[in-house]
Order: sequence, then C-alpha cells, then structure tokens
Amino acid sequence: MHSLLRALRRLVLAGCGLSLAAAAAAADTLVLRSAQLQTLAAAPGAVPAAAVTVALPHDWQAADLRAAWYRMSFDAPAVPPGTLLAAYIPRACANVELHLNGQLLHRAGRMVEPLTRGCYHPQLVTLPASLLRPEGNRLELRLVGEPLPRVAARQRAGGLSPVVIGPQEALAARQASRLFWNVTLAQIIAATLVMTGALVLAIAWVRRIDYLGWFGVLAIGWAALSARIWWREAPLATTTLELLTCSAFVPLAACAVLFVLRYGGVRSRRVDVLLWAQCLILPAALAALGPQRLFVGAVACYAVLAVELAAAIGFFLWRAWRRRRSDFRGMGVIFALAALTVAAEVAIQDGRVALPEVHLIHFAIPLMFCALAIRLVQAFARALSTAEAARGQLEQRVREISAQIERNFAHLAEARVEQVAEKERKRIAADLHDDLGAKLLTIVHTSTDERISTLAREALEEMRLSVRGIAGKPMQLADALADWRAETVSRLGEAGIEVEWSGDEPDEPRTLPARTYVQTTRILREATSNLIKHSGASRAGVSCRIGEDFQLVIRDNGRGIPMELDGKLDRGHGMASMKARAKQMQGQCLIESGPGYGTVIRLTLPL
Amino acid sequence: MSSVTRILLLEDLPEIRTWLKALAEQVFPGAVITEAARVHDARQQISASRFDLALIDLGLPDGSGVEVVEVLREQQPEAQSVVVTIHDDDDHLFPALQAGAFGYLLKEQSREQLGEQLRRISQGEPPLSPSIARRVIQYFTAQAKNHVREQQPLMPGVTLTDRENEVLLWVAKGFTLPEIGVQLNLSRHTIADYVKQIYRKLNVSSRAEAALEAQRLGLFRR
Repeated sequence: MHSLLRALRRLVLAGCGLSLAAAAAAADTLVLRSAQLQTLAAAPGAVPAAAVTVALPHDWQAADLRAAWYRMSFDAPAVPPGTLLAAYIPRACANVELHLNGQLLHRAGRMVEPLTRGCYHPQLVTLPASLLRPEGNRLELRLVGEPLPRVAARQRAGGLSPVVIGPQEALAARQASRLFWNVTLAQIIAATLVMTGALVLAIAWVRRIDYLGWFGVLAIGWAALSARIWWREAPLATTTLELLTCSAFVPLAACAVLFVLRYGGVRSRRVDVLLWAQCLILPAALAALGPQRLFVGAVACYAVLAVELAAAIGFFLWRAWRRRRSDFRGMGVIFALAALTVAAEVAIQDGRVALPEVHLIHFAIPLMFCALAIRLVQAFARALSTAEAARGQLEQRVREISAQIERNFAHLAEARVEQVAEKERKRIAADLHDDLGAKLLTIVHTSTDERISTLAREALEEMRLSVRGIAGKPMQLADALADWRAETVSRLGEAGIEVEWSGDEPDEPRTLPARTYVQTTRILREATSNLIKHSGASRAGVSCRIGEDFQLVIRDNGRGIPMELDGKLDRGHGMASMKARAKQMQGQCLIESGPGYGTVIRLTLPL
Repeated sequence: MSSVTRILLLEDLPEIRTWLKALAEQVFPGAVITEAARVHDARQQISASRFDLALIDLGLPDGSGVEVVEVLREQQPEAQSVVVTIHDDDDHLFPALQAGAFGYLLKEQSREQLGEQLRRISQGEPPLSPSIARRVIQYFTAQAKNHVREQQPLMPGVTLTDRENEVLLWVAKGFTLPEIGVQLNLSRHTIADYVKQIYRKLNVSSRAEAALEAQRLGLFRR
C-alpha cells in the first residue's frame, strides 16, 4: 500500500515536472528543514512556552496548540545579481504571517477566528532585496490553526512544511503547479461533477429511475463538499466547520450505499431507515465527543462509512456475479478502484501513511464518479434504444394490425354493401315482376291484336332479362351455353326448322358477367326470331367456339336478306340493335347475307 | 286428360285469373273450376273439397304459393300441383318443385303454348329446363355428400338411378327432351317418366330431409 502510493505520487509529480530532489539539488535554492518553535498558549495570559527546535514538516499534535512562531535563520543563496528571491511555503495550515528581519511581509488573510483557511494553498512571498542581508537573515512565521485532534482530516491539521528560499521565478512555477493540482483541479472536477450529477438527476427524474437519482445526489453532494478545499473564507469557527465537514460525509455515504444497493436491485426499508438514522446519530456522536476528540471520532466515522460502502459493494458484486456477469466486470473494476482510494485515504487519516503533497482522493473519487456516470448513461442509452426499438416494433405491429382491421372492415363494408345491394335488387326485381310484369301479362293475354300481345310478351322477356342483369350474378359459361342451346333448339324445333348445334364445351370453368349473358341471350333470341319469322329456312346451324374470345355463328339456308331491306339497314329485323349490343360488350356482330346464300350471323365477344 | 274434372285456380290478379280460367276451360272442357285469390282461401277450399289439378301462382298477398303446394300434397296426394308464375328463375321454381309441384307454366307464353304445356303436364310430361336440372343435380350431390359425412344410409327411393342422372345431365347441357330420347334411344314416354320420377324423388327427398332436420332439432331441444 505504502509503496504503491509512493509510486503513484512519483508518477503524478513527474507528470507536472515537479521533483523535490531536482529542486533541492539546485545551488541557488535553500530548503529550511528545521525551525525554532515557540508555541502560544490557547489561554490568554499564559506564559509562552520556551522555544524548541523542530524538524519541518512539523504537524500540530498537541491539543492546546492554536498559534505558534517558527523562527529560522538563513544566508541568502548565491544568485546572479538582479535575481528576485522568494520564500515558498508549500503547506502552512491554517494561515500564516511572514516576517523577514523583523518586518511583516505577508499575511494570507484573517489570523483570528473565523480564520482564513489555506491548508491546501501553497504560499509564495517575495523577499525584498533591501531587507535581505547576505548572511544571518531572520525568517519568522506566525501560524494559526487547529491541532490534529480538533480537526476532521489530517489535511487540515495545523502544521508547517519545509520552507524553500530561492529565485522567485522558479518557485512561482512550483507554487502554481501545486495550486493547480490541489485546488484548481478540485474546482474543475467539482464543476464537472455538478453538471454530470445534474444530467443524471434529470434523467432520473424524467425516467423515474431511483438509483440514478441517488447517484446524481451523490455526485452533486461530493462537488459541494469539495468546497472545503477552495473556499478559504467560510464564516464559521474552524472546529464547527470541521464538525460539519465530517458530518456531511455521512449522508453522502448513505447516498452511495443506496445507489449501489438500488443499482443491484435491492430495496430494503430497514437498510434505508438505518442509513438515514445514521445521518443523525453519527454527527450527534461527533458533537458529543467534543472538539478535543474530533479527529478520533472522524476517523472512526470514516471507517464505519467505508465498511458500509464496502459491504454494499461486496453485496452488489456478489449478486452481479450471479445474475449479470457483464455488470460484474464493469462495475467491479470501478468499485475496486473506489475501494482502493477510500482505503488509502483511511490509511492517511490513520497516520499510517505520510500526508501526500497531492491529494489523490480529490480527483480519484470524482474520476470514479465520471466513470460510473458514463457507464450508467451508457446503460441507460442502451436501455433507451432497446425500448425505442421495441416501441418501433410495437408501432409497426400496431400499424399492421390497424391496416388489417381496416382491410377487414372494408371487406365487411363491401360484403354489407353487397348484401344490401342484393336485397335491393331482389326487391326491385320483385316489384318489376309484380307490377310491370302483371300489367304486361294482362296485355299479352287480353289484347286481341296479335302484334300488341307479341310486343308485350317481348317486353316482358326484356324485363326479365334486365332484372337478371340487375341481379348481377356472374354465370358459368357452360351453363349459359346450355340455356342458349335449350332455348334455341326447342324454339327452332317447334317452328319446324331442323337445327344442328355444334361447339366446344369450355375446358376450364369460365364465367360470364351477368350483363354479357343477358345481352348475348337477347342477340341470340333476336336472331332466332328473325330466322323463324323471315328467313323461310328449313335448316339452321349454330356453332360456338371458345378460345381467346367467344364466337357464336348462326347460319341458315333461307332466302337471305332482300337487297332493298339491306339498303335501309334496319328493317325491323333488329339487326342494328344486335350490332349495338355486341358493341356494348366490346365485341362485334357481323351479318353476311345474299339472296340464295342464306344468312350468317357472326357474334364475337372478348372473354 | 279426361279425368281432370275439379280444378283449383289460385291467382290474386283478377284479369289473369280470368284468362287462366278460360285456358283451363279450354284444355279441360267441362271441368269445375274453383277460384281463390289468397293462400288463406285456397287452404279452406282444399280442406272443403277434392281436386284433380291445382294451378297455383307463387307471389300472393298473404304468402307464397309454395305453402299451398305443400298443403295440397299432404291432404290430397293424388292431386297435381302446377305452378303458374312469371318468375322463370330456378330460385323461385325450385322450392315449389321440392314442395311437390309437378310442373310449371310461365305466364307470358302464348295461349297456345300454355295450353300445350298444360296438356302435357296433365298427361305426365312435365317440363324441365337446364337451370332446374342443374339445381336438381346440385341438390342430390349435396344430399349424397351429407350422408357420407354423417354416415347415414341413403334412404331408399330418394336416390336417383343412373338413367335418371343421365337424363338430368343431358338436360343440364341444354338438350331438349326429344333430343335426349333420340340420343338414348328411348321413347318420348320413357323420358317423360324419368322426369316425373326425378320430380317425385326431389319431393320425397326434400320431405325426408325436412323430417330429419325436425328430428334433429327435437333431439337438441330435449
């Protein structure tokens, strides 16, 4: 542990080009590693203790230390003329006042409570050349602060680091670097954490994901707590501030534990109650211990919190190992790093490890937060895209089903319309039969004029065909042919005309639209009537052919159509109407006739 | 036919009833003709007196002539029902034939044609059009299928013989009865007998079917 930390520290320091060894080796730089310490008693009017020699860094362990003088003497280092010299104090906690040869040169802020607390801030004081003597310069530092037992973290216990005297430029660089690593970086990270936390909180709030909520609170809380590093002017007594700082870790730890547990899917009321009760109990215990034992209490408190967090992480990892291996690996690495950092910090606070120059915990933990946040957001994004894909599928399915329903509905509506239309057709047909039919029938059977009764009969037949056309059911071609054959053959037979019907039957079932059936029936009936009435034929032949289209040929051996009738085209033979009907069906009706040749009627219809 | 002496005439339109009566008198001289204009009247006449022949219109103000055909077949099985209608389609005619009508006349035919047809029917030569033949074929095919499906033995007397089937098929293809006679080398009388048998079996089978149906409903109700 020790060596690992040292290695880490060396790495960090090397990274920023800062090396104590290298600095010490420089000839123009002087490091003061011991001082005459004169402590000032806490109680007013007490006799100041006698001066003792102490090695630097010097930490305030004695419980009654509040202020002390550190006196050092040094010879000005040999530097090229015109070089400005400065004193660099990497750590002076909580605040320092610098005197050179009896002259007050620098004070970092308030020296009485509420103190200006610059425990994390390195100090750099330019030494005026006029005050400097070549030899035997007196450097006096007055330090105020709180001793280790009265603070909550070793980092903020009173103490002084070695003082470095050297060229101002070089030291300024070292101060800037240390300031960056200890303070500025903490600020940057805090700002980042606030934004990350806010983002996570927003997601948690919108999506109602509790573990994200705890994580967001944790990140923001940690960022707020990092104010202890850079906020020097807090208007509170140092011991009060220390108690508050330590107490603030308790709810933060509770958030962390809750996050880990919730993320692992654990939800226990008892654990929740205990965690929140602890937020009251631990600070109360710290307050009860009193400021003199604050550090002991704080270390114990950190240990308790660390153990709780470790337990939660252990439990989570155990569950993840059993349920979600992928989670185990990712979260395992992050949690292991967090546990290491916390352990290192606990070790530092326990005094097992020397106080490092750069505080690992200040950015290791936030870094871990960021890693966690990235992981969480990644997991969330994955879940979101999965959900979106699922929703997309669902929408697709809904669209399909709606389309299907619409189709079904359209079918139903169509069927319904069909049904209604069918019913209406039947009604119309029945009305026609009952009303018009009956009247025509009466004419057929009561008229004394044969011509009128024939006309009425034809009208009746027409009406029936029309009704059939309205009824609109398609007809099998074979059935239509049978009907035509039966009617034509029996009519011609009754008229004493020998008839020969020839033709193919359709090789596959084919249907004729009702209209086509009706129109063809009319044409055939008309042709048959003409044959019987006008041709004087003794023989007739009907042939039908079914191919690409339907062809019906009616021929007779009669006298044909007389020339004078032919000229007038329609001669009461209904030939014009036959042609017109064929045309309506996109077909044609050709009539060939010559005296002595008989008549040939060719009807061609598309199928 | 000389044996036709009592005729029932059911027709709601007075003019048509008048000329149908004239037609009947001409075909069957000396016959007693009872007129009715409604189903209700016809039922009363049937229970009151006996008839040899009934001319029945289908569309009547208080019901269908098919009912009268049924009643007559039940109460006076020896009487011949002839449907006289303006509807030439099988949708109208087939139920009447199933109910026991022995033939049909289409009203718009000329008086001579009607007279000839009526005479033939009364002499046992009922007409049979291709569309009616097709319906009859369909009917018997469906019957046979039902019996196979329900594993019931076919009732004797309600299946068509091969010859009857053959005649039906020829008619369905549009051949006239005389043509079929020539084709099968059978006399005009024999062909007419087949047609009569077909009508009779259609009626018997329909009744059997109706009885079965009633029995089935009764079983279910119980």
